[in-house]
Amino acid sequence: MERKFFLRQGLTALGAAFVMPLAHSCQKEDTTSPTTTTTTDGSSTTTTGTCTVAPTETEGPFPTHSPSSYVRSDIRDDREGYELSATITIGKVSNSCAALANVIVDIWHCDAAGNYSEYGGTQMQSTNYTSVHFLRGRQVTDANGQVKFTSIFPGWYQGRATHIHVHIFDAAGNSLNITQIAFPEGTGSALLAVSGYSKGMSGYTYNASDSIFKDDTTGVQLATVSGSTSSGFTLAIQLNVA
Amino acid sequence: MPSARNTTLCYRKLINHLTPGSWEQLVFADSFQEYRMQVPVFDPKKEYPQFAQLIHAVPQAEKLHHRVSAAVIGYLRQLNGIIPDITDNLGLKMLTFDNFHFEIINSASNDKTKHQVAINFISTPLWWIDTVGDYLLLSKPSSPERTFLLKLQPFISIHTCQHGNHNNLG
Repeated sequence: MERKFFLRQGLTALGAAFVMPLAHSCQKEDTTSPTTTTTTDGSSTTTTGTCTVAPTETEGPFPTHSPSSYVRSDIRDDREGYELSATITIGKVSNSCAALANVIVDIWHCDAAGNYSEYGGTQMQSTNYTSVHFLRGRQVTDANGQVKFTSIFPGWYQGRATHIHVHIFDAAGNSLNITQIAFPEGTGSALLAVSGYSKGMSGYTYNASDSIFKDDTTGVQLATVSGSTSSGFTLAIQLNVA
Repeated sequence: MPSARNTTLCYRKLINHLTPGSWEQLVFADSFQEYRMQVPVFDPKKEYPQFAQLIHAVPQAEKLHHRVSAAVIGYLRQLNGIIPDITDNLGLKMLTFDNFHFEIINSASNDKTKHQVAINFISTPLWWIDTVGDYLLLSKPSSPERTFLLKLQPFISIHTCQHGNHNNLG
């Protein structure tokens, strides 16, 4: 994860060196007529009675609408693992589960080590743009009700079976369904072929014991997964909304 | 000449529905839409309309800061690495950034006017050479001889600071 952690020393860093009126020639700058400057952050508290110089640069760049960074098909960023090509079909229960076009599908899952992209804790930290939201993606279903993502086979973490989160929205962004995709287990399964990457399967929570999947006795959340560690894996599932 | 310090500054830019500027309003509208989309993950029964209520009842909802930040990354890229609004005493935008921290300050899925966010821009490293009144005399490691004066003002703070060797001040 490309994150830079900064130690904050705050205003204590200003210390005794803060007030040092040693350059008299520069004080002229302070004696120009005070003009009130309001920055564009919308907060009245940024207005000061003392003077700062208004921007004197060429205007621009001019902003344009920019979609969420989730909107992409390849969600891997810098994460390494066995490639997983996922095709998710959305159906509508009230229409005999026929394909539903133009719905928004978000997916997210953990990396090979079992970690999600997120801020660590609540303390102030800064984050570089790149790979801030690894393994999170958003697509809109096509005429066949399908979305496709390129990702890696997820790892696992304590207490959960391997899974992919899915959030389905209507075209306006209203939530329709939040669910998870489970992976087949047993001999010959992709799950055992990947074998938790470097982690192995010791301590793994299988679907029958998983808090989310154990009541899915008919396999509604269970995907079809095929492939190999050498050629990559494909995943397919149909999920239906009301 | 006192020894220079290796410093980064933080500019905390607040944005709400009244903030002027087209960039700001795009950030506002898209971060609100993303907030609305992400909240159901943490509040599927719509029990907590206010963000403050939600994070109090569902501590996991702190993840909303990160999840909603995806809506603003495209707009941050459009800034081309230049911290907005903050100018030196010549009126030039001298501060650049690679890193940021996005926060939701307040919000409510059903009330856009409650939505307020902050983008903390963390400057790339600067040499803090001296202090002149309430101005910092700064330069960039890439061109240490070219100094500029930046006024200490609300929503600007020193983010990191350490003593360093700065032997090329000219």
